[in-house]
Amino acid sequence: MAHVPLTPIGDPLDSVADRRTVDDHENKTAGLEETLRSRRAEVHAGWGEKYVGRVHKKGKLTSRERLERLKDPGTELLEVGTFVNYGEEFANGLASPAAGVITAFARVHDRWCMIIANDNTVASGAWWPRTPEKIERAQTMALRLRLPTIYLVDCSGLFLPEQSRSFPGATGAGHIFKMNSVLSANGVPQIAGVFGDCIAGGGYMPLISDRVYMTEHAYMVIAGAALIKGAKSQKLSSLDIGGPEVHVHQSGCADVRVPDDEHLLDCIRRDVANLPSSGAAFYRSAGAIAPLYPEREIAGLLPPDHREAYDALQIVARLCDQSLFWELMPEVGEEIVCGVGRLGGLYAGFVINRQGLVGNPEHPDRKRPAGILYRGGIAKVSAFSRACNADGIPLFWLQDISGFDIGQEAERHGLLAYGSSLIYTNSTNDVPMFTVLLRKASGAGYYAMAGLPYDPVIQLSTCLSRLSVMDGRTLAIATYNTKLDDNFEITATDAAERKEIEDGMRDVERRIEADMDPYVSARRQDTDEIIQLGELRRWLVAATEMSYQSIGHRRVKNPRIWSLHDLHELVGGLR
Amino acid sequence: MFRRLFVANRGEVAARVARTCDELGITVVFGVSEADADAPYTRGRETVTLGPARSTESYLDPVRVVQAAVQAQCTAIHPGWGFLAENARFAGLCEQHGVTFIGPPAHVMHLMGQKTPAKRAMAAAGLTLIPGSDGVLADADEAARVAADIGYPALVKAEAAGGGRGMRIARSADDIAGAFADAQSEARSAFGDARVYMEKLIEHGRHVEIQLMCDRYGNAVHVGERDCTVQRNHQKLIEESPAPVLDDAERARTLAAAVAAATSIGYVGAGTMEFLLDDGGVLRFMEMNTRLQVEHCVSEMRSGLDLVAEQIRVAAGRKLTIGQDDLPLQGHAIECRINAEDPGDNFRPSPGTITRWELPDSAGGAVRVDTHVEAGYTVPPYYDSLLCKVIAHGSDRNAACDAMIDALSNLVCEGVATTVPMHLSILRSDAFRSNDYDTSAIPGWK
Repeated sequence: MAHVPLTPIGDPLDSVADRRTVDDHENKTAGLEETLRSRRAEVHAGWGEKYVGRVHKKGKLTSRERLERLKDPGTELLEVGTFVNYGEEFANGLASPAAGVITAFARVHDRWCMIIANDNTVASGAWWPRTPEKIERAQTMALRLRLPTIYLVDCSGLFLPEQSRSFPGATGAGHIFKMNSVLSANGVPQIAGVFGDCIAGGGYMPLISDRVYMTEHAYMVIAGAALIKGAKSQKLSSLDIGGPEVHVHQSGCADVRVPDDEHLLDCIRRDVANLPSSGAAFYRSAGAIAPLYPEREIAGLLPPDHREAYDALQIVARLCDQSLFWELMPEVGEEIVCGVGRLGGLYAGFVINRQGLVGNPEHPDRKRPAGILYRGGIAKVSAFSRACNADGIPLFWLQDISGFDIGQEAERHGLLAYGSSLIYTNSTNDVPMFTVLLRKASGAGYYAMAGLPYDPVIQLSTCLSRLSVMDGRTLAIATYNTKLDDNFEITATDAAERKEIEDGMRDVERRIEADMDPYVSARRQDTDEIIQLGELRRWLVAATEMSYQSIGHRRVKNPRIWSLHDLHELVGGLR
Repeated sequence: MFRRLFVANRGEVAARVARTCDELGITVVFGVSEADADAPYTRGRETVTLGPARSTESYLDPVRVVQAAVQAQCTAIHPGWGFLAENARFAGLCEQHGVTFIGPPAHVMHLMGQKTPAKRAMAAAGLTLIPGSDGVLADADEAARVAADIGYPALVKAEAAGGGRGMRIARSADDIAGAFADAQSEARSAFGDARVYMEKLIEHGRHVEIQLMCDRYGNAVHVGERDCTVQRNHQKLIEESPAPVLDDAERARTLAAAVAAATSIGYVGAGTMEFLLDDGGVLRFMEMNTRLQVEHCVSEMRSGLDLVAEQIRVAAGRKLTIGQDDLPLQGHAIECRINAEDPGDNFRPSPGTITRWELPDSAGGAVRVDTHVEAGYTVPPYYDSLLCKVIAHGSDRNAACDAMIDALSNLVCEGVATTVPMHLSILRSDAFRSNDYDTSAIPGWK
């Protein structure tokens, strides 16, 4: 059957939850998201007004001003890696907001592009520890989706006091140029604009691009004026050494000279307009329509306390176009939902954990907790993931999972093996996959549902995300297992010994809870971005549009030839 | 062309759609509630029972309706008007299950179903709006600024408004903060959506609307305008065409702009743009109804077009068979909606069994009656109580009115009270005949 039998899901907010509960959830999340907004603003400010002033005084725009001018008016930037290095101090007590580079998805003439822009308000765009990794991550996203990649270069080179943490290693700065090459080899258009300093490593970044622009402020050099003075006792300005006069005309290292930032950005926009238009319009099976139940209600539905349950389908209803959804294999593995909905008029696959109690096929008279995976759920997710991959349907993993089932039954059922099958599936999928850590992302569950180690194109966290092997309380109990009785009470009677154990357990718990903070993950690049719940749908829609944008590099099957239909028929036949 | 068409509606609507389907050789299947299962208009027709009398469990349940249509092997659904006709999600659902929804694409319905996005799209396409805010108001200060700009009285309206809720009038700058806060809080509690916008309140306007018909290939025509100023609680009572009080240049300008606007949003099928005619004689866009309307017959009488047939053809992928030049609009047409209500007793509903039912004759084609009723029919209490629509045509307004008076005088309905006496009183009144009325009161009726 070629129809995609979407059906209405979701219910009005007031019939799902009472007003007080909703208000309570909203208020708690609102506080966390207020913090997120203020921290974003802090990062966006770079090193502050003084450095903005310096940039302006040179007749240049700040990197963020460049992005504003580059994107389509009225559209929104979707930034990744905002909090890389957040809260971290480097040599001389210096901070590096956003690791000194802005990486963002932006719409340029209706095409999604990846923009990589050195932040010229942070140490003149120097590269810090993790800056190379952040740039490479953005390049990887662009490669996976074949998005035009635009470099806005204004980079004074490595931040040398920390060179040992950004120069060597498999992902050291030089790997950026390897990624430049890989993008090029895979036919991804790259355009570079050089706006100012472009020294040493920075000097290579633009060169592999298909087109390189230079403003009259820009220069590209292997070594800058200071180094030449030291090494060769020559007194030259960097512009003399490697300005547009040299590189556009004499060396051919750049293609076009333009008077200033504004001209350069307009030229890049014009270039992007000449690239093929997005395939999304062709693949759209219906016009984009907002969910019937608005996405802003998610914050009221999702309890900030990870132990509280909610109805996962109500969340999906607030993400899919028109709140229409086709759930596949609903009778199997009830602990997890697999299905297809539309995002911006384009088909996408969804996997989301159910919460609360669900049916137990082993003991039909009993219920068992969801939010973890059993054999049925793992098998279902594996089959669904393989089918989406075979059918070219972009796949969204919405995680709220505390792990796999454990214990004798779990081992007897071979969860290790079923889990490995799922891991194999997700590891070898080439369809774009995107992962969202709605709340819990724990243990094997985090891996099984395409957590970052399984190469989703993007992994997003929310303010409620908790990423860990297990939560703090569980680890504290495991650590002090031999000192506890069956009710997890301390067995020791000696007061001093009891206190030592209590303190020790509290320490373990505190350390784990602190590490679960999404800002810690984001700082270490263990997650790509922290977003507000109300922003989730726009990210999902954008990711879907990006997945369908570039044609020819991946399979996109029409629903008539989806293997999902076969799966549906086979499982349905057992009913 | 479709072989089997599902009518997701009842009563007069179902009968109207079926008449055209008979002419086109399409088999009609009626979805009916239990209350309508034995209604006379279903006699000799295939029916599928949708559910109980209560419309939320029958005519308003999208899943049941689509399932019934699929089971009955229908390839198209005509939603009529009311019920699911403007439900974009229902339209989406039909398409997902292989049944063609006879109406515009779901995303266009959705766009026109939203207040400020629809206005913005229509303004961009060249229609004149009621002065107001550009979209949703940020706060009371912005409300005060906009009101000062457009002038009082100003109306603060919920973006999700419906049924008259979420609206507040500010008559002066002193009222504005209160009106903004009240509208916002009512909107939040009634619709869960606190967004409000502002429009200038036009108190003595006339209601004028434009009938449009578009195909999938970018062809569009208008079928003239209709004046629907005679209303009671926003319920239209009498509709006529051409609009009796409308400057020719303004008519021509707006008709052309409406056609261009419909094309610009990718509109398909029959639709109506509603305007407020202000004191200055300017037509200002209010909203678009993305469906056929009750009063479409008025335009059919002037044009000779069968709008239902055009809808079905366009839905099946045909091009419009007529261009604007093939559509001469002739004479004057007027329609009266006859309901089972007692106008002498504050329009109290009058359900019950009709014991005697005689219709006026067609007067050589000058009079048309659309109805599903016959003697012995019981008016069910669950739905609106429309018994019939009488449409009269004449060379000019007076001739049409006289033909209507004649026709209504010869309409016999016993067993239930009807609104015929009110219509006769309006038609005979000086206020109506001399166009001395607006939407705020019924001319010739207290």
